[in-house]
Amino acid sequence: MTGLATTTSAATNTAPQQRGAQGGGDPAAVIAARIRAHAAGLPDVDAERVVTQINDGLWPGATEAALRERAIEITSATVASEPTYSKLAARLLAEHIAEETASEGVVSFTSSIAASRENGLLSDELVEFVAAHGAELDAVIDEAADDRFEYFGLRTVYDRYLLRHPEHRTVLERPQHFMLRVACGLSQSVEEAAELYSLLSQLAYLPSSPTLFNSGTRRPQLSSCFLLDSPKDELDSIYERYSQVARLSKYAGGIGIAWSRVRSRGSLIRGTNGHSNGIVPWLRTLDSSVAAVNQGGRRKGAACVYLASWHADVEEFLELRDNTGDTERRTHNLNLANWIPDEFMRRVEADAQWSLFDPKETPELVDLWGDDFDAAYRAAEAAGKARKTVQARELYGRMMRTLAQTGNGWITFSDTANRTSNQTARPENVIHLSNLCTEILEVTNDSETAVCNLGSVNLAEHCSPAGFDFDRLEDTVRTAVKFLDRTIDLGFYPTAEAEKANRKWRPIGLGCMGLADVFFKLKLDFDSPEALELSTAIAERIAVVSYETSARLAEDLGAHPNFNETRAADGVLHFDHYENARVTLGRRWEAVRERIGRTGLRNSLMIAIAPTATIASIAGCAECIEPVVSNVFKRETLSGEFLQVNRHLIAELKERGLWNEQLRQAIVVAEGSIQGIEEIPADLQARYRTAWELPQKALIDLAAARTPFIDQAQSLNLFQASPTIGKLSSMYRYAWKAGLKTTYYLRSRPATRINQTTVSKAKPAQIETVAEDVACSLENPETCEACQ
Amino acid sequence: MLLDPGMDLTLRPMKYPDFYDQYRAAIKNTWTVEEVDLASDLTDLAGFTEQEQHLIHRLVAFFATGDTIVANNLVLNLYQHVNSPEGRLYLSRQLFEEAVHVQFYLTLLDTYLPDPEERTKAFDAVNNIPSIKRKADFCFKWIDSVFDMRELETAGDRRKFLLNLICFAACIEGLFFYGAFAYVYWLRSRGLLDGLATGTNWVFRDESCHMNFAFSVVDIVRAEEPELFDDEMRRQVTDMMEEAVEAELQFAEDLIGDGMPGMTVKDMKSYLEFAADQRLERLGMEKRWGSENPFPFMALQDVQELTNFFERRPTAYQTAVEGKVDLDEEF
Repeated sequence: MTGLATTTSAATNTAPQQRGAQGGGDPAAVIAARIRAHAAGLPDVDAERVVTQINDGLWPGATEAALRERAIEITSATVASEPTYSKLAARLLAEHIAEETASEGVVSFTSSIAASRENGLLSDELVEFVAAHGAELDAVIDEAADDRFEYFGLRTVYDRYLLRHPEHRTVLERPQHFMLRVACGLSQSVEEAAELYSLLSQLAYLPSSPTLFNSGTRRPQLSSCFLLDSPKDELDSIYERYSQVARLSKYAGGIGIAWSRVRSRGSLIRGTNGHSNGIVPWLRTLDSSVAAVNQGGRRKGAACVYLASWHADVEEFLELRDNTGDTERRTHNLNLANWIPDEFMRRVEADAQWSLFDPKETPELVDLWGDDFDAAYRAAEAAGKARKTVQARELYGRMMRTLAQTGNGWITFSDTANRTSNQTARPENVIHLSNLCTEILEVTNDSETAVCNLGSVNLAEHCSPAGFDFDRLEDTVRTAVKFLDRTIDLGFYPTAEAEKANRKWRPIGLGCMGLADVFFKLKLDFDSPEALELSTAIAERIAVVSYETSARLAEDLGAHPNFNETRAADGVLHFDHYENARVTLGRRWEAVRERIGRTGLRNSLMIAIAPTATIASIAGCAECIEPVVSNVFKRETLSGEFLQVNRHLIAELKERGLWNEQLRQAIVVAEGSIQGIEEIPADLQARYRTAWELPQKALIDLAAARTPFIDQAQSLNLFQASPTIGKLSSMYRYAWKAGLKTTYYLRSRPATRINQTTVSKAKPAQIETVAEDVACSLENPETCEACQ
Repeated sequence: MLLDPGMDLTLRPMKYPDFYDQYRAAIKNTWTVEEVDLASDLTDLAGFTEQEQHLIHRLVAFFATGDTIVANNLVLNLYQHVNSPEGRLYLSRQLFEEAVHVQFYLTLLDTYLPDPEERTKAFDAVNNIPSIKRKADFCFKWIDSVFDMRELETAGDRRKFLLNLICFAACIEGLFFYGAFAYVYWLRSRGLLDGLATGTNWVFRDESCHMNFAFSVVDIVRAEEPELFDDEMRRQVTDMMEEAVEAELQFAEDLIGDGMPGMTVKDMKSYLEFAADQRLERLGMEKRWGSENPFPFMALQDVQELTNFFERRPTAYQTAVEGKVDLDEEF
């Protein structure tokens, strides 16, 4: 079986190998020549070293294809010593892909379309569009653009995105064909297709994975996330939601679903005169249902359940991901999020009590926020409706424990979300939850499932050591917004509820990635005032251009149907909610406000910063707005493990003449940290602190400063190597105070680790004879005199 | 002294606080078999070639008994002679972890081998598969060498005990298991058997800790009784290591045969020798082989993981988090 194929059928996977064997000649010699050719022009790559390693590991019947695969494996594992090997690995992989597609007769864009069409993979519209403009489109392809990929990016495209033959499982398009196919699927003219293709092939902007997977195909499900309102407190509604979730999951959508309307444990069921078992059994069914629906054949479905923090089952909810206790009350496939009102946080601050309610008794709470919620909540307390009263800090502590132990149980703030949203001008329009990645905040109700189409600008591509290119950013954003808006009309919707909401609100979510690369390129510390200023300025620019573009689209095509229900219709824009917003483009904002007053907006929401895990891999940049977790780490994905290294750091170390094997080992031994490594100067140690080493306050401050320009939300991970309840409770309280609408995973690190296999040079520990002379230790306070 | 016969019950003042620290760190990494999803592995297995089938069947057959043997030695020998209540706390925890591993491999075999006959054969591998029997015999030899000793009275007794301890840490956990993990990560590097790899990540982490504990016992005994670790002892350790490498190598020949892409007997030999050298160095001895690690996928295990949450369950969380709600801490 060849590892390059991610499919599961050995018989089909071996096809390219066999072809290689028929090529004649000595396979090892052929591959050696190819390695030498590809290595030409790559600085610091030693082709002979790779060739020797290949020859040392030969096995009987080794084919060209299998040896090339081995060469790819060897070179891609060498990136930690010399990042340029990634390019060599990518070139070898590109050669493999070209050979594989050629075996299906694919040699050009039009022939790739022909091959996919023959296998019934493409929409009629796309086929007709390409048929009408074949020669022009073939000329658009930039063959040299493949060389922009790092290995992991190209590998991700090959493993996951290229269309495959239904039986052979061979790929039917090369990476550039794929990008032009995606562009054509969203375009009305060759000029438009070329415009979008140009951004994609430069890796300057990438739409989200569903669009990359499905654009131009027979089932163009282009949306990333779906937000479902809580089922009503009745059996039929609950089962109807399972069915909606299943249909949305099937087409690779990420699911957010609220559960706050469903009655809690012990609540009376009138029809049978029995008592409810609460929400846990329902969520167990949801858990199984989500796991059963297989997305695109391999990945399991994914969903996040939101529960309001006043719901009486909240304590059991927080235990759903524990790995101890009754397995009948655990849901290992569901993600969990807390939907927290301000009143709860105020009571945590005041160390006051908190009441938990059965929504059957207090159905009004689900659809209220702000002062109305506070009043209704207190009225319910006064009326003695609480099922249980706890110390607010005790519940808050439990939330923190769940975060620390599972990373799950995300903290999201319901009042902040509603207060600042463009969609919530009218009391009947309420946001009840965020999505699977906590960057989407949209109104839902029983008959409307919120949808969002996402895309992200690669900021790294808009930055050189000379500075950040705001002009180019503007061009990119204009194109991105136009095409994101387009996806709303072209998309296939798995449920009527989703289509209804999306056509009415037309929300999109433009985000970014590679912010950490920008800071590295410009030599800015992540927690410096300059970094905060630049990051906020970028956010403001993306926002203002998006609003301008949406206003222009409204002038051309009309405002979204219920524009009149939005705050923008009253002249209120998102940043108006923030007194301290760092607005630097005041005149442009006033101009766009005036245009919106005349003709409205095409989209009710425009900005959301998604986690970008996979598309940042393709683009070879840091994920969204995140600092790097390590300077050397591996990415674990469904198709294997891939070594990643901070190219910026190694380039700087080389520049200063410091890079060598000894230093590399020291960094690997330190698990990718460079703190305290003597040879590395202090300025580099500061700049290349990892996410574990940066003050988390800085991450929150950056996020808070950009929030006025994020009309939805951002997927903000926070990091604590060794979390304690004290640290976490301070951190999330600060996040709330800073005005964040949502937070995402809490990442932490294992308490123990494996013995490193390939670098550790462990020696016997020097042991003092402890029996006689007990060492100073916190374990021995009573015998230690040194501290007294 | 640590190996003095007896049943020390006194935790304060604590003589070996490092044992207690290791115990607490281990508790933070509790995992359960139910968290491992083996479903996707079945799809992979269905597409395996005959050669790959053979390899995976042999591999799981080894796993079927490996941890049980380690657990037996722990209870019958180690627990008896490591005379430190905090040390025995760690060993109790280790015993629990071995039980989880046994359960994991039991579940794995039940899942991978639906045919009852084949399943029975796999569980009986120590008797009917020669390449596994040889490894098991090696383990039994070193269990038997100390089995009848109730107390470690003489220097000779203590040397025998140390050899048993080193055998289980350096040869069985540190070489047999390390060898077996290499096959798992080799498959994983081809995008195969993700479920097995997830469980293995956790087992690997536990086994690393077990090995560290055993080596820290050796360190302490050597500090307390330096005369025990003499030239004769060093010779015996080297011989034992060579025998273990031989046994693991014939297992490799059985599994790999003429070789598969990226996995040859020649490379496996270098890897095993490289690992064995590391164990010797950990014991303060000279390298015996001087081989290099040929497996790029093993180098990958040395760095931090970053998991795409939608694809794999991250393995990097802790249990038993401590502290109280406090709104004014640094973070």
